[in-house]
Amino acid sequence: MGLVRRNAPPPEETAAPPSIDTLMSQLDDPDPDCRREAALGLGGADEAVPALLSRVAGEAEPAVRDAMLTTLAAHDTAAVAEGLAVHLATDDAGLRTAAAEALATMPVAVPAIVPRLLADPDHDVRVMTAMVLADLPHPGSQTWLAQMIAEDEHPNVVTAAIDALLPSLGPEHHDLLRAAVERFPEDPFLRFTVEAALR
Amino acid sequence: MTSAATAGAGLSDAEFEKFREYFYKRTGIQFTSAKRYFVDKRIDACIRGSKFDTFTSWFAALRLSERSDLLQELINQLTVNETYFLREDYQFDSMLRTVLPEVLEARGGLNRIVGPVKILSLPCSTGEEPYSIALRLLEEWPPIDRIDVEIHGADIDSDVLSKARHASYGERSLQRVPKKWRDKYFSPVGGGRFQLDEGIRGAVTLHQVNVCDTNAMRAFRDFDVVFCRNVLIYFDELSSRRAAENLYGAMRPGGYLFLGHSESMSRISPIFTPTRLPEGIVYQRPTGANR
Repeated sequence: MGLVRRNAPPPEETAAPPSIDTLMSQLDDPDPDCRREAALGLGGADEAVPALLSRVAGEAEPAVRDAMLTTLAAHDTAAVAEGLAVHLATDDAGLRTAAAEALATMPVAVPAIVPRLLADPDHDVRVMTAMVLADLPHPGSQTWLAQMIAEDEHPNVVTAAIDALLPSLGPEHHDLLRAAVERFPEDPFLRFTVEAALR
Repeated sequence: MTSAATAGAGLSDAEFEKFREYFYKRTGIQFTSAKRYFVDKRIDACIRGSKFDTFTSWFAALRLSERSDLLQELINQLTVNETYFLREDYQFDSMLRTVLPEVLEARGGLNRIVGPVKILSLPCSTGEEPYSIALRLLEEWPPIDRIDVEIHGADIDSDVLSKARHASYGERSLQRVPKKWRDKYFSPVGGGRFQLDEGIRGAVTLHQVNVCDTNAMRAFRDFDVVFCRNVLIYFDELSSRRAAENLYGAMRPGGYLFLGHSESMSRISPIFTPTRLPEGIVYQRPTGANR
């Protein structure tokens, strides 16, 4: 008993990853760990994107779904951005938040769909879009958020956009925030958010 | 100085402020104005190494995450890659007082546990962390006389692993090691350095691995406790997510993950469950019961 040594596995044990075909078939394995590792193992495999996208919404295990999203987000293509953006409208809170977090790590493909998301008739989609823009490393993010604050017709969207802009808020945004309060004088939460931001 | 300082020209006050804010947000490391000269020199080295001509163009690429190598180089320049024995040892206190007793209980208790308790230190750098864990267990955790414990250290850097294998340390590394432990476990090897006892060196298994490499990380399984401190802050969002996924795969359901004091898994991935212990926050891989 006590400290025991376990020799490191020889390189050959870790050198050969399972084939893409094997990993694709493992996406349907009943064992969540097997599905999760298959999803991660498919990183960089373009041919796996449709299979992963089609399984995101139906995957019951959050850890497996997050592994799928991690792999998908690394592709950062229009197809993946479109495929994930549809989940911003879902009633499944876990899925829409996970999709938003994944989209926020895709600065190449997401900007192209932002104008459409900002114009989405569902204000909940626009709230989620503000969440995406909060973390999206793109030079247009602040401008889009400012546009949402200035123009969106729903106070929840405006509040979400203010919240998203908070970390980079500067004096140049103060008039924008005051104007938002004037547009929604009956909304106490928006007013509170702005007052807190201006403090 | 202009707002577009060229390499070698130093930063303007506005540039320094912008940079300081950015670096703090990414790493939790705050530079005061007293460190201005240090920061200027190292940013200058980064700009020169990056082939950008000005701070503005270099900083724009850095902020937009176009080049993750820029951030890596910046962190290498601005962080003193210093580690030492018993660093942030409130987390080792937590491991001994709270985490390991819970691990034993979850695995059937001291008399019925099957297989070793497995602890991983990643990145282990020059070995101070995994060896600190070994010393604390041997000196302060009586159950080690009745069960097997495997300690593994892993790092991407083969040079630091060589040093970890040799396990010879100077005064700075050993400053927090009690004299009694020094006398018991270290032998002078000249030049003011002390080498760790061969028995402990031999008991800790060292591996070279990149935590973001999913295939390589498949070799790591069923760890009860993982220390992954002050490394995820080095990665961009996607890399840190992938690293978190790989750590999850390396852990036993219910296993405990310690991050550095300025790090938060909630900013990286939702797959772990934060658990508040008396000594601080630790993250658990969910079991089937609390998933």
